Amino acid sequence: MAEQTKTKKKRSSTIVHSRYGCAVGASYTVAAIKGGVPIAHCSPGCVEKQYHLLTFNNGFQGSGIAAGGDMPSVNFGENEVVFGGVKKLDAEIQSALKIVKGDLFVVLSGCSAGLIGDDVSSVVKKYKELGYNIVYAEVPGFKGNNLYGHEVVVKAIIDQFVGDYKGKKRKRLINLWSEVPYFNTNWRGDLTELKRILEGAGFEVNVFFGPHSRGVEEWKSIPKASFNLLVSPWVGLDTVKHLEKKYNQPYLHIPVLPVGEEATSEFLRKVVAFSGLDSSKAEAFIEKEAKEYYYYLEHFADFFSEYWFGLPSRFATIGDSAYNIAFTKFLADQIGLIPVRQIISDNPPAKYRKELSELYHNLSEGVSAEVEYIEDGYIIEQELEKVDFGNSKPLILGSSWELDVAKKRKALLVEIGAPIGDEVVINRSYIGYRGALTLLEKIYTKTVGG
Amino acid sequence: MAKELRQIAIYGKGGIGKSTTTQNLTAGLVEQGKKVMIVGCDPKADSTRLLLGGLAQKTVLDTLREAGEDIDLEEILTEGYRGTRCVESGGPEPGVGCAGRGIITSIGLLERLGAYTDDLDYVFYDVLGDVVCGGFAMPIREGKAKEIYIVASGEMMALYAANNISKGIARYAKQGGVRLGGIICNSRKVDREFELVQAFAEELGTQLIHFVPRDNVVQRAEIRKKTVIEFDPEAAQADEYRELARKIEANTKFVIPKPLTQDRLEEILLEFGLLDI
Repeated sequence: MAEQTKTKKKRSSTIVHSRYGCAVGASYTVAAIKGGVPIAHCSPGCVEKQYHLLTFNNGFQGSGIAAGGDMPSVNFGENEVVFGGVKKLDAEIQSALKIVKGDLFVVLSGCSAGLIGDDVSSVVKKYKELGYNIVYAEVPGFKGNNLYGHEVVVKAIIDQFVGDYKGKKRKRLINLWSEVPYFNTNWRGDLTELKRILEGAGFEVNVFFGPHSRGVEEWKSIPKASFNLLVSPWVGLDTVKHLEKKYNQPYLHIPVLPVGEEATSEFLRKVVAFSGLDSSKAEAFIEKEAKEYYYYLEHFADFFSEYWFGLPSRFATIGDSAYNIAFTKFLADQIGLIPVRQIISDNPPAKYRKELSELYHNLSEGVSAEVEYIEDGYIIEQELEKVDFGNSKPLILGSSWELDVAKKRKALLVEIGAPIGDEVVINRSYIGYRGALTLLEKIYTKTVGG
Repeated sequence: MAKELRQIAIYGKGGIGKSTTTQNLTAGLVEQGKKVMIVGCDPKADSTRLLLGGLAQKTVLDTLREAGEDIDLEEILTEGYRGTRCVESGGPEPGVGCAGRGIITSIGLLERLGAYTDDLDYVFYDVLGDVVCGGFAMPIREGKAKEIYIVASGEMMALYAANNISKGIARYAKQGGVRLGGIICNSRKVDREFELVQAFAEELGTQLIHFVPRDNVVQRAEIRKKTVIEFDPEAAQADEYRELARKIEANTKFVIPKPLTQDRLEEILLEFGLLDI
């Protein structure tokens, strides 16, 4: 039975150890699209800071053709604040179009442009009318964090680039909306796994970001999909609701990323049931995947049952909504570990918190946990210092910000989300059939001293 | 011995006559041998027209826009009537950019270029009507103008604006040394104007430092791009501005204003603003 924690929610006016970027961090949403080129209409430090949190100190993910140090930027200075930044933006767009080979250019305007009221749309309109694939998104940091910015950018691309559609829908084609590129450290590997299993179950999948997307052509095909599949607790809800209205496209919302055989098979069955397609292909795929999964698990079980000393039994999870609930549920439901302190650190909007908290009340049969919403690393550390991990080895799923407190508590730290400054991530996944095994490898490698 | 530089900001409702009053007052001061610099802080850039004999001056921001940061003081500072130093901050094109930040930029540039020389007795900041954002409060922040005069009349909206400006002054007074030196009444010939403005000033905790009567010679001088003192030194109105200059020179009453509530402001208007029939 999980321990109930009833600590009152704490609020502080400052945040140390921030775990998310600001709205203009959505430049990395653009960078994650094949052929996507962000144009930063803000001061250079703004996007530079986003790079460090979202990609560099987050698994050293790199940045593609036109991000990181290569991102076209207006470099907003005092002159732009006083006289307006649109002239320089105009020149910057011209240069970007000339120098960078891109399929879709997205102007992201930040705080300064937002404060002085730069008319970005009129500049972008001019290039749009000349036939360029270009859109703009107003993402000043004072409006919200990078998760907010992500949805603004996605909506901007849908409205200004994808446009209206009146044609037919393709029954097997679905739009997959899930992890936030770069912010969710394993996004590449996880989206690859989601696409793989959905294709295995008989779907064609628009994945939009990363190596398995067809880039802007795929974005253009959004309206052709029979429905939108949202696999995330709350990020993306605005997008799928917007698409429902815009293209009369229904959506299926599965709030928890599937991890492990049971959850993944159940996930596939839900999607197939929603689609109304014949389930035989999916069932055959599930059978094959399950067989493979349990082959590996059987061999892992030798270790798991024999090597009983030094293994954790209680764990804490610190992370964004999506990873937090997914891994907490997997460890509680499938591995039998006891969730003792769960903290969501990405500041989900108040309207989503009740449903999110409910998910923790039913982690497994008879297993419930109380989740807290804390953004401030100082308070998170204080909370972790108080956790009763019992007599077993403490396990903390968190970020690199938890290194100090993990050391203090002599805990195993498995880094699951931003920022991760001491691991290199290429195509790692911790979800689905295959990712779950990687996660187990990671956790139990730690227990044997790796 | 180095002179004490008095930096003064002039605020007031738009169209009340801040620029006219500031320039005529400046003419009165330079006549007494004072060294004065006027910094126009209004994007319309019309704060120095009467002293320069026209709007020929290039603004700080225009120069900055065209020439960049590498500019000389002479490019933006022009000498006018009896050696008055005139600077116009200017602003971006209407509807673009941020005029408030423009003022901050201009004043910062003037400081860097060494416009505030030791021989100056006065620097006047003629600020646009409403203090709409932080930029327009720049002249009264730490290290800038410590004295403020509000130009008002007996008209309801002028007093309302003056009261509002006092709220801003009270806020900055708590942080820095800025104080209200008085209300200058630029008469509009409304009923019992002197009594009304005086009562308003007293209620604010300040003084009606001078009542400038309405006289068409001001208009005639303005058409000829001159201050009254330059245009018609013998006119009675010229003496009014000389008197205002003397009073400001001798002023020692600097207060933190106590802004009125809306109800109290309207009570005063009712009490003084209506003629008994």
